[in-house]
Amino acid sequence: MHEYSLVQAMFDQIGDVVRAQGAVSVRRVRVRIGQLAGVEPELFRTAYDVFRIKTFCAEAPLDIEPGPSDELTLEQLELEVP
Amino acid sequence: MCDSCGCGDSNVIPFEVHERILKGNDRVAEHNREHFKDHDVVAINLMGSPGAGKTAVLEATARALGSAADAVKVGVLAGDLATDNDAARIRAAGMIAESITTGSACHLDADMVHKGLHRLPWRTLDYLFIENVGNLVCPAVYDLGQAANVVALSVTEGEDKPLKYPTMFRKADLVPITKMDLVPHLPNIDVDRIEYNLSLVMPRPEVLRVSATTGLGIDAWIRWLKAQGRARGTACPTSAGAGLIA
Repeated sequence: MHEYSLVQAMFDQIGDVVRAQGAVSVRRVRVRIGQLAGVEPELFRTAYDVFRIKTFCAEAPLDIEPGPSDELTLEQLELEVP
Repeated sequence: MCDSCGCGDSNVIPFEVHERILKGNDRVAEHNREHFKDHDVVAINLMGSPGAGKTAVLEATARALGSAADAVKVGVLAGDLATDNDAARIRAAGMIAESITTGSACHLDADMVHKGLHRLPWRTLDYLFIENVGNLVCPAVYDLGQAANVVALSVTEGEDKPLKYPTMFRKADLVPITKMDLVPHLPNIDVDRIEYNLSLVMPRPEVLRVSATTGLGIDAWIRWLKAQGRARGTACPTSAGAGLIA
């Protein structure tokens, strides 16, 4: 169940963006998970739903797009800015 | 005005990231890799199921190196959820070893390896084995800074393991098929079939049939290790050492 540690790494990554951009919250998260990434998209989503409670991503749906190889990337955020 | 998603919310802006989720791990892995290169250490990430025979292969490696240990120095970082058992076994076999106890984590990451290195005199080594947590899924995702991936697969695990866990075997540079001494007791296991299934998922299939118990294939394994050192222009054993362990 490495999906939890991956989501934790993604939250660190999102936190860096939120601080750098002075965002109030995140409204949407889009990731790409390749079919050879060794990551199960539904487990990743479950882990995300556990982690996001009471965080800047609390109201942010997660979009997962497939990829052909071993991609595992944070693609795009929608940020609420003041 | 947000014009990318059509939400119409004036305070919502799209922000392109396009970065690997494991970029933090990748950075530490690259740091480890530079350390290994600077000190001519060939690091091998040894993976496989729990009970695949990873530790037994390392014990056999220690025995094969035997009195040549001065010429070819090998050390081990052994990852497990709990206990120091594997490191203790490897130390008893004559190699230096330290444990990385992961608690509940199902894999090693680059930072755990980096911290583990602080407890091992790794700069003096020619080869460092990083014995990963027994698991055919999670360890494949994390770069540790290794020069090569070795995935041990025992004959008792079934012929179709490579097909069931393709991500792991796709990343393997070498698969030792272990516990070959048990084949006479396994009438339903066809080792050729295991090799065929590996060839379907490994980009460059390299397979060795070994038994840590009888010593079968251990000489070929040692030759493979030495080739890894030569390929990287490092860890080339002295001719005296090579003679002793050939």
